[in-house]
Amino acid sequence: MKLIMQREALLQPLSKVVGVVERRQTIPVLANFLLQAEDGVLSCTGTDMEMVLRATQTAEVASPGSVTAPARKLVDICRALPDGCSLNISVSDDQLRIDTGKSHFSLSTLPVDEYPDMEKAEELQNFTVVEKHLHELLNGVAFAMANQDVRYYLNGLLLEIHEQRLRAVATDGHRLALADHNDLQAEADVSPSSDEDMRVIVPRKAVMELLRLLEDSDERITIGFGRNHMQVQMPGLIMTSKLIDGRFPEYQAVIPPANDHQVKVDKQTLRTALHRAAILSNEKFRGVRLEFTPGKIRIIAHNPQHEEAVEDIDAEHQIESLSIGFNVTYLMDALAVIKTADVLLLLRDANSSCLIREPDSDECQHVIMPLKL
Amino acid sequence: MPNANSKPWRRAIALADMNAFFASIEQLDDPALRGRPVAVTNGMRGSCIITCSYEARACGVKTTMRLRDALKLCPELVRKPARPQRYAEISSRIMHALGCITPLIEVFSVDEAFLDVTASQKMFGSVEAIGEHIKQVIYQVSGVRCSVGISEGKLSAKWAAKQNKPDGLTILPPEQVRAALAGRPVDELCGIARGIREHLARYGAHTCGDVAKLPMSVLAGRWGSIGRRLWSVCRGHDPAPLELDVAAPKSIGHGKVMPPDTRDADTVHTYLIHMAEKVAARLRKHNYEASRFYIGLRTRERWLEYQYRVMPTDSSSKLRRMCQHFLQQHWHGEGVFQVQITAQDPQPTGQQQDWLRPQRDQQRALHQVVDTINQRYGEFAIAPGVLLGRSDMPNVIAPAWRPEGHRATIEGARHVRKTGHHRQRRTAAGLPERIS
Repeated sequence: MKLIMQREALLQPLSKVVGVVERRQTIPVLANFLLQAEDGVLSCTGTDMEMVLRATQTAEVASPGSVTAPARKLVDICRALPDGCSLNISVSDDQLRIDTGKSHFSLSTLPVDEYPDMEKAEELQNFTVVEKHLHELLNGVAFAMANQDVRYYLNGLLLEIHEQRLRAVATDGHRLALADHNDLQAEADVSPSSDEDMRVIVPRKAVMELLRLLEDSDERITIGFGRNHMQVQMPGLIMTSKLIDGRFPEYQAVIPPANDHQVKVDKQTLRTALHRAAILSNEKFRGVRLEFTPGKIRIIAHNPQHEEAVEDIDAEHQIESLSIGFNVTYLMDALAVIKTADVLLLLRDANSSCLIREPDSDECQHVIMPLKL
Repeated sequence: MPNANSKPWRRAIALADMNAFFASIEQLDDPALRGRPVAVTNGMRGSCIITCSYEARACGVKTTMRLRDALKLCPELVRKPARPQRYAEISSRIMHALGCITPLIEVFSVDEAFLDVTASQKMFGSVEAIGEHIKQVIYQVSGVRCSVGISEGKLSAKWAAKQNKPDGLTILPPEQVRAALAGRPVDELCGIARGIREHLARYGAHTCGDVAKLPMSVLAGRWGSIGRRLWSVCRGHDPAPLELDVAAPKSIGHGKVMPPDTRDADTVHTYLIHMAEKVAARLRKHNYEASRFYIGLRTRERWLEYQYRVMPTDSSSKLRRMCQHFLQQHWHGEGVFQVQITAQDPQPTGQQQDWLRPQRDQQRALHQVVDTINQRYGEFAIAPGVLLGRSDMPNVIAPAWRPEGHRATIEGARHVRKTGHHRQRRTAAGLPERIS
């Protein structure tokens, strides 16, 4: 293998892929990138066995070939080299050599056939979606995913396909976030395989990587689903991830059909008031109390040091009197992804969940379970 | 009467330290023991001296000494098995009574309390009068003598109390603290042990006076806020506030030392289940549940341990199953010396609703009945059958014991009223002690 590349051109694919490479490894080859040079293209692959990222970049390939080399060291070297330098990359005597000007590096390698191949695992059913819309969809619910929960199927996000609708749902039991996107297109050669909705659970790490990698672009990209894998093809980058093999809870059960009380409030006012009150809430449990009286919401927070925050805000509602506790972080997380100026809170009583959504759309719904204070 | 001659101190902190607390109580309850060397051990089989009377100390007997060795130094030594419940009762009584001097009390251990008596100066006239009053109050309610130190902060008050034992009263006025400590080795301060001492020695600092001359960054850089505090104390001022509130528990755990090198599966199982039951009952009593549990067995070489993640629970049977699983998976018959089970990061039960958790827990009713019976008739009046063969070693009163809250692992008499707020033990330098 022998090729010439500009530092910046090499750094771009490497830094996209390096996120998937775990810092500590039990299988040595997983600490490496798989580098393949062929037909004027260098491809760089990284994996943690759950997820594979493969980025490609054009290069002057003098002789094709492939090698695996330490991922983080390679990225660190590229980052530390001066801007605009041209790199001669070659393999000799089981070493990956990088030469530029007066700098010379040789890195240890491991055999290419030790590198796991996950990508061509199975047949996928492909759809296309606008890149920035996919980012928005995931971003709207990702914060509600559980983290290291024993209910492993919650440590990820449900994607559900119903005709042209792509729905994302995440929950940790305390709150649930749901978002819909209505412009999913099946690729021409794919006919709907059955009447049933397609449902997959994407692992947390894959979601977080996608949020990092998806760009603010109007281009359509391909997203494919199989029984055990999903794949997203972005320009110059393919992500393949295993899916979580489990049954996501029947989330419709938790979305209150019609709550008695409807509260309309200016989102920014509510958000900033919550933000201030949160400062004096209990650091661990983050509880705030919301007290509704006609036309008003009072937000009250206490902490163990007997400090107190009280915020009064105006709101449109008919509630005579209701006092309900919530984890303030959950409220703020939901409000952060609401795009409209006003927001609706739908409530029943102090022991029932609260539904948060935009006033004229239910594309994005947030359910928050109350806290006993 | 206010003393017109002396200006009140800007801050006055008193430490009351009960002298040889457990041994004093034994001598108090049994007049035949008064004036004789007494050593308290854990039950009649405990081989290690938990504490001893001043008569025993005069012969060179020390706390933590093996009884066998102590008897060589002091053949007439009388051994008494510890009675934690009685100590808890007296301690609660003392801590409650101190509330008549000031409500600002930090119960520092079962036999030590800090009092912020700054505001009391007006009432009592002088710090000397306060000190005398503290000693008198403690003697009146318990019959136990104590040493009192009064100074401008916790560490200096604790150091002062140590200067005159037993039954002393040492006043160290704020402006004299720096000079008094200057020539003293730094490890005379509570909480300063080998680590910090050796670190400071590398800078040539052996006494508090040496430390006061170092740049603060030397201490702060390595030991953070503990270092900053130590530096400040050596310069005559301890800024640490009294910890008056009950802090939420970071963990709730129980452990027990076993007969060394136990290999019998039933015995290990019983010890572990015994501790699991205690943890579960204590979680329930204080209305907590946990989703992370540490289980450990100490063998000759190392701790065999595992961290369980589960749905939040306070259920005895779930903990039992966890223990059984642990023994099957992680123990292969090695000799065991000690067992431990700890609920980590406990959360208040049922505070945050979870839509995926069943609301009705069938076991809850059972637990309620069991807990009610045990509260009335004593710990393990009703218990799983496997605990019939449990260790008969009595419960030990931990240094972290408190009259109230989740650290009240041993209950004193029931008539003791609430004594205000107390919190976990910390060494005076702010280093939390290992508590299990």
